[in-house]
Amino acid sequence: MSKVLIVDDEPHLRLLYETELRRAGFETMTACNAVQGLEFVETMKPDLVILDIRMAGMDGIEALQRILERDNSVPVVLNTAYSSYKDNYLTWAADAYVTKSSDVTELLDTVKDLVETRTTARN
Amino acid sequence: MSIRQLVRDTLALVLAGGQGERLYPLTRDRSKPAVPFGSAYRIIDFTLSNCINSGLRQIYVLTQYKSYSLDKHLQRGWNIFSYESGEFLYRIPPQHRVGQKWYQGTADAVYQNIYLLENRRPAHVLILSGDHIYRMDYGELLGFHAGHKGCMTLSAAVVPREGANEFGILEVDESWRVIGFEEKPENPKTIPGDPDHCLVNMGVYIFDTENLVRELSHDVKRQGSRHDFGRDIIPELVNCGEVFAYPFRDEETGVSRYWRDIGTLDSYYAANMDLVSRRPSFDLYDQSWLFRAWQPPVPPCKSVHGFTEDGTLPGTVEDSIVGGGAVVSGGHVERSLLGRGVRVNSYSKVSDSILMDNVDIGRYAKVQRAIIDKNVVIPEGMEIGFDLERDRRLFNISAGGIVVVPKDMDLSDQESPGA
Repeated sequence: MSKVLIVDDEPHLRLLYETELRRAGFETMTACNAVQGLEFVETMKPDLVILDIRMAGMDGIEALQRILERDNSVPVVLNTAYSSYKDNYLTWAADAYVTKSSDVTELLDTVKDLVETRTTARN
Repeated sequence: MSIRQLVRDTLALVLAGGQGERLYPLTRDRSKPAVPFGSAYRIIDFTLSNCINSGLRQIYVLTQYKSYSLDKHLQRGWNIFSYESGEFLYRIPPQHRVGQKWYQGTADAVYQNIYLLENRRPAHVLILSGDHIYRMDYGELLGFHAGHKGCMTLSAAVVPREGANEFGILEVDESWRVIGFEEKPENPKTIPGDPDHCLVNMGVYIFDTENLVRELSHDVKRQGSRHDFGRDIIPELVNCGEVFAYPFRDEETGVSRYWRDIGTLDSYYAANMDLVSRRPSFDLYDQSWLFRAWQPPVPPCKSVHGFTEDGTLPGTVEDSIVGGGAVVSGGHVERSLLGRGVRVNSYSKVSDSILMDNVDIGRYAKVQRAIIDKNVVIPEGMEIGFDLERDRRLFNISAGGIVVVPKDMDLSDQESPGA
């Protein structure tokens, strides 16, 4: 079962994503800030990271760079309420950029695609 | 779009972190771009002069190893920008903004500084090496890039086959689209119809900014990448047919223009010696394209009779470049480059050599085929470059037999054979 790490400082979103991802057959783990997320990237070796951008403390843009430095093979989906970050060059190394919505279909589809691509590439 | 507009919308990134290990000991205390060249210059002055002569005045210099000397030079010699008008030259040491590592390769050096591009948002980015000797109007390169509309344009030079394996070898079609690229191959492919020469990547790149960011962002995720333009980015783009080569040649004659990547002590020596030849391949005296350097307030150079036991002895200089404040007093200098403040004393002889700033040649000393780095005092009667076996005990000797005396070396305890 593929493991998805959700890094977001909003508890209700972590809960929503966990529920939907589990229903879709993924194992999930959650981090409430970027520092904890980075720790989990190293210790839990997730197959994909869903990363919020605007968080207290270290933001998702800096966390993305640090994830790349630790493990540049893990797909990262930036997930934010603000589409304006799409223009920021520092977000371009993410594998996908999904704007937050109560309808999680796009996020789930993106996660499935990226995990599948990674699994295929590994095999 | 006019060339002027293209230049105005271009940001230059000068990669100046090169260790230059093969230039040791000249790079013992400084990075390769900071190595003195041509009596008055540092190697980086040529690239930076090309920038300002081309009208490009938004420059970041990315430094890394042993950057103090370069930093000092840029601060003293290149503080010429009108910051309030949007011009700048900023020195950027590794900031570890996007990671904790040193630069892994040339592409990583740019990626780690992608914040600078995000901040400035130029239309184009010109990536340059700070350790090449050449004269190029980057406006012409930008015009070529705009006309060919590739993802990337690199500048290409023709070099002799011998030694071409140090470079990325290019194959191009009739429209100058790059159709083959090999980084430092053992047996470089020659130009069709010219078995003695190869077309090589000069390490001068122009990208539309978004293309550059996209490629760097792909590369950062690419497994096994060394994050280098030559090894990773260019081969990938060549496979997509997205790279054009700008032929660095005289438009009228079609002859390749002067370009040197000073890789070894021997190529460094040869490029310097070329400057004192009657018709040098590289012209420092072209008033339309002068190279600037840091010029401290030194008096003019002079050559005078030296006082000797027998009266006076003329100080003579032939076929040489002599820096400000140098004094040749009763000594003889031929086919050499003397830096600022050098002294050549009575009965001494210097030939086919490079003496950097403040070198002092003692009476009766003889120096030939040598590079003497800054502040070295050659004791009275000492001979350098005549007996290489003896020299080898004290100094570095290049593959071509050039003796290199490191900066600040104290030779006061050396017995002189002639004394």
